[in-house]
Amino acid sequence: MKNEYIPHPAIIESIQRESFDTKTFTLAFEDKDLADSFDYKPGQFVQVSLLGVGEAPISISSSPSRSGLLSLTIRAMGKLTQSIHRLEPGDRIYIRGPYGNSFPLEEAAGKDLYFIAGGIGLPPLRSVINSVFDRRRDFGRIRILYGAKTPDELCFKDELQIWKKIDDTEVLLTVDTSYENWQGNVGVVTTLWNKTDMATSYGVAYVCGPPIMLKFVIEKLLTSGFKDENIYVTLERYMKCGIGKCGHCNIGEKFVCTDGPVFTYSQLKKFPLKDRAIA
Amino acid sequence: MKEMSLKKDNVKGLCLAACNQWETYVPIEEMGQDVQFVKINGKDKVFSLDNLNLDYQSLLIGPKVIGFPQLESLFEFRGGKLTETVQPPRKKLLFGLRACDLKGILFMDEFFKRSFQDIYYLNRSADRLLVLVGCKRPPRDCFCTSAKTGPFLPLAGSFDKPEESDFDLQMVDIGDVYVVEIGSRKAEEFVNTYSKFFDRASEKMVAQSKEAKCAAEQAVSLKVDFDKAIKNFCQDKVPEEIYERLAQRCIYCGGCLYVCPTCTCFNVFDETIRWASEKENVGCASAHQIQEIPSLSGEIKSVGGRRCRNWDACVFEGYTREASGHNPRYEKWVRTSRRYEHKLKYDYLTTGKSGCVGCGRCLSSCPVNIGISQVIEEVSKI
Repeated sequence: MKNEYIPHPAIIESIQRESFDTKTFTLAFEDKDLADSFDYKPGQFVQVSLLGVGEAPISISSSPSRSGLLSLTIRAMGKLTQSIHRLEPGDRIYIRGPYGNSFPLEEAAGKDLYFIAGGIGLPPLRSVINSVFDRRRDFGRIRILYGAKTPDELCFKDELQIWKKIDDTEVLLTVDTSYENWQGNVGVVTTLWNKTDMATSYGVAYVCGPPIMLKFVIEKLLTSGFKDENIYVTLERYMKCGIGKCGHCNIGEKFVCTDGPVFTYSQLKKFPLKDRAIA
Repeated sequence: MKEMSLKKDNVKGLCLAACNQWETYVPIEEMGQDVQFVKINGKDKVFSLDNLNLDYQSLLIGPKVIGFPQLESLFEFRGGKLTETVQPPRKKLLFGLRACDLKGILFMDEFFKRSFQDIYYLNRSADRLLVLVGCKRPPRDCFCTSAKTGPFLPLAGSFDKPEESDFDLQMVDIGDVYVVEIGSRKAEEFVNTYSKFFDRASEKMVAQSKEAKCAAEQAVSLKVDFDKAIKNFCQDKVPEEIYERLAQRCIYCGGCLYVCPTCTCFNVFDETIRWASEKENVGCASAHQIQEIPSLSGEIKSVGGRRCRNWDACVFEGYTREASGHNPRYEKWVRTSRRYEHKLKYDYLTTGKSGCVGCGRCLSSCPVNIGISQVIEEVSKI
């Protein structure tokens, strides 16, 4: 029987600053065999820890289609993530996983894909987006709608520019509060609906963001013709174990860690309203 | 195998003999009349059985602590080196369980085996002999006859049948003697190994044991319509107003969940030992072995310690609070609804069994007199 609670040491290879409170850490497992065998799917998460500080679930922002290193994009928010932000390349961090289900890509083949993210919600979607771009011809047109509080808080700024240049791909950005040199849209992410053609009955949407955003984005998607089963949402919950035991992430009879974190809207709407899966 | 009998005078002898082979847990009366399961074979000595109490009314903390202790270490770390603290499986004899607690143990077994297996729990429960001593005087707050979890459990028809009884041994008190029912092959071997303590039960004794079981069943005075309540929970017929009313009284201490035989939620945290200087570090680990991590204040300090888990409760406000401060179950009544719906709806939907075993501990331990039996009763009348 495997001991699922034992984390494995990984070395921070590089750190990319995304915004004033967000960094992307690229990691390599110390154990060669583990480094070679570690496999994950877009949408999955790992339990990240610093010994003596604590452990938290963090979604994987790198893509399995790009071999090699594991990337985690982390906002300094609580005790653990603030400590992680003080680390430097060469420092050690502990990882176990990957856990949870993933965004199914096979069902989306041939369809138009819509990625809608808010704030720190883009990292898990980036894992899917890059997997999709690595087999671009398998999918129809791609729209990426991304909103953050300020222009500085947009993650993956360089990559957003690269994505824009890919065939039949639109990247639409918005911020809640603009700076003087901001040329783009100002407003919540749903205000981007007017900037592009979102009407579809065969599109697949991938959504990640704060609960209040999920509520409004899902409403918009439904009025644009998206079917319940084609709206994929990844949820965030407080978690301690990642393996369906500690109980913290339960919603109804489901565990976000093992039954999710990715749910279709068909599943979400069956959740008890009072459990606030979406706002 | 036919029913056996065990003289009360022989019980201590049996436990002492068994503890050479088995890690043996028995109910011991502590000071102040609290009874709890205690391991009698310690590291070097066997504890006295003078305070053995098989007639206890109810244990405040049930035998769930044997498989799932309130606090346990998952691993230790020092100098960036991890040491697993999982215990190897050991043969365990749990002697003197009540039927409701035994049902609770089986419920937890199923939970920890599901999907990802929990090695800490499963190693503790790997090789176990469960000896049930049926309740003779059921406590006031329990309702096991309604939950169909006691005071005695049914014996499976024959050993050739695949399904075995829930217990290994079931003992029925008929005065100076216990009539012992054998529920598994493992139990049969146990009785054969310690045969000098057992006798065959006479037909008269067996008849007396049946009477004792009936009498115990009738002595359970609190009755609720369990099936109807579960049906109403599963059909979402419970109005929010019930939870809101409970939320006004509940003080959210979590006591009812700590004592619940089927509650499995836990928190995980790191405990650290920091050495201020090289000097204090002598005998622990050499300085270079100690992993240096930044503390919150930004200082680099040498750290060793352990990752632990301890019981948690879904009624606590911090239970679902995320690092951002967002808390999907901030409101008290929502936490209350989770607490009852988990037991009486979601557990039933997932496993086909209710998460309540009718022990009544939540009521007896509650400072403001709320018990799940009251909720079941109210919901069953909807």
